[in-house]
Amino acid sequence: MIDHDAVPPAEDITRFYQPELARVIGKWQMTEMMVLLRLQPASGERLDHAPGQFLQISLPGYGEAPISFCSSPTQTDSFELCVQSVGNLSEALHDLRPGDFVGVRGPYGHGFPVEDMRGRDVLIVAGGIGIAPLRSLINYMADRRRDFGRVIIVYGARNPSERLFVEDVEAWDARDDFETWFTVDEPDETWTGMTGVVTVPLREVEIDPARTTAAVVGPPVMYRYVAMELLNKQMAEDDILFSLERRFKCGMGKCGHCQLNDLYVCQDGPVFRYTQLIGRTEAIEVWAPDEQKG
Amino acid sequence: MPTELVMPHEAVERFFGRLIDEGPVMGPRERVSQPGFIHFDWLSDAADLRLNYQTTTIPPKKAFFPPREVLFEFELTDPLKITAVREAESFTLVGVHPCDLAALRMLDDAYAREPAEACWPANRARARVIGVDCMPDEYCFCTSTDSCYSRAACDLFLTPIERGYLVEVLTPAGEDMLRVSDVSEATDEDREQAEAFRREKAGAMTARLDATPEELAEILESEEHTELWKEIASRCYSCGSCNTTCPTCFCFDINDEFDLGLTGGRRMRSWDSCQLAEFALVAGGHNFRRLRWQRVRHRWYRKFVYLYRTFGRPYCTGCGRCSRACTADINIVDVTNEIINRARERDRQGVQG
Repeated sequence: MIDHDAVPPAEDITRFYQPELARVIGKWQMTEMMVLLRLQPASGERLDHAPGQFLQISLPGYGEAPISFCSSPTQTDSFELCVQSVGNLSEALHDLRPGDFVGVRGPYGHGFPVEDMRGRDVLIVAGGIGIAPLRSLINYMADRRRDFGRVIIVYGARNPSERLFVEDVEAWDARDDFETWFTVDEPDETWTGMTGVVTVPLREVEIDPARTTAAVVGPPVMYRYVAMELLNKQMAEDDILFSLERRFKCGMGKCGHCQLNDLYVCQDGPVFRYTQLIGRTEAIEVWAPDEQKG
Repeated sequence: MPTELVMPHEAVERFFGRLIDEGPVMGPRERVSQPGFIHFDWLSDAADLRLNYQTTTIPPKKAFFPPREVLFEFELTDPLKITAVREAESFTLVGVHPCDLAALRMLDDAYAREPAEACWPANRARARVIGVDCMPDEYCFCTSTDSCYSRAACDLFLTPIERGYLVEVLTPAGEDMLRVSDVSEATDEDREQAEAFRREKAGAMTARLDATPEELAEILESEEHTELWKEIASRCYSCGSCNTTCPTCFCFDINDEFDLGLTGGRRMRSWDSCQLAEFALVAGGHNFRRLRWQRVRHRWYRKFVYLYRTFGRPYCTGCGRCSRACTADINIVDVTNEIINRARERDRQGVQG
């Protein structure tokens, strides 16, 4: 029964919606469309995220949007977000300068199950900006290297100029204990690596399927083909992790925007085991060209 | 067994007049600019209250979850200043039909699910609620959704009888509201009249679902790929009227508003609709329910499968508002029964063949 005498103070009621302040302490233009922001909570407290989790970033007046952490939780003094210029808010975020403040709330969601992945080989499959959340996991594994078996990174970008985190990528490539496979769909004269979509190098990667966990992030169209490739390698469906993108408005399973059949991606995901998605028809975008007007 | 009292006709206006004197009261009344149109609004005169009314267009959930509300205000000072904004005044919501009472309890449960939302329960805690029984029209089907006799979420419940209202006192707050009122003990005759009213109500219900909630959930789970979704969608305009008028829809959007001076503004929460094309759109243009039939199906699944499986009851109260409001004449009872009957017909043929 409702307690008519217990209306809490206003700031407690809206606490969930209310962002904390974070200060921009670094900003790098990575590509024409992508900016990397390094942020520090103004409170001095750590956000303590897991790789694969997201937060809500906002600029008062421009609104709020969910963005995955792209820094490792082992980086404790600050955190990083990769912002693609796609709308009013993200364009305003691109205009920030060091010293400016943004609003943040989170972290939200289930990230990569790093405890369950201990001792296992990890196969990273990144397509396009999917590298951003996976960079959090990769750099986490780099700092906790002995906790994991083989680390295999397969990263595909549309063209060489759209590759993100080039310095990180070079550092991963230089390590003896990381196996790296890089590809682009549209090579230019500077490109000396592989050509083709991400499944091209993936096909050549040899794994021990029983020992391997795959972490996959990319555009919706990529998941189906990567899943086929990984199942061809005899991987178990439960060992394939997909991180899905949705338009989270609240982050607490209430606003309805991220609903995927009966799941709330913001609460049950954004990282899912493939087993959770089998049979759920809204997991990936339906491609039905004959039904455009349906 | 709650205490049952009788409030005679001549005491009713006095009772609500006193509530209005004590604090804000929202209830069904004629819209000033539109005679004959009854909606939930603030009352300044008990004579304006219309307790004998047909289902309103917009459900009374708006008293606790307004179509648009301010979450906080901000000032673009250095450092940024954020001030939470909440209404704190207590009020009384009166004249709520059983279907809408059932809906209030559904939203209590939906918003309380961990991690709990705090705006809804804070607004609920501000209000006392008085329910009233009603007679159905041809769109009502609350006997199919177990909400015909709901007394959820209310402090007092009124049932029309010959000499006034039979008053069920359901909470201490309800008892408190009656403390100086002209009420008397109900007699067996009063109780029998209230029972007769409920029998007449159930008997007057012409629309009904042809399956129990559990049967319906199972049928829908097996009918995910039926062509019927596309047939319905071919008529749907994706206008979102069904969501806007639904007492159990609780999805929302969050957006910012700047003041004209651009030195401050507010973050707003507003009703949203899963039938609008951009509801499941993400940055980069991917839309996970791009096709209209996917959105139409989503609404049925959310009401009768997803939330049913989570909370153990369909998130539909049988109020019929979506059918009344639909600009394409899509009737929730007709469509649901069509799905049920096609599935059963196919099963019969499957068994025979």
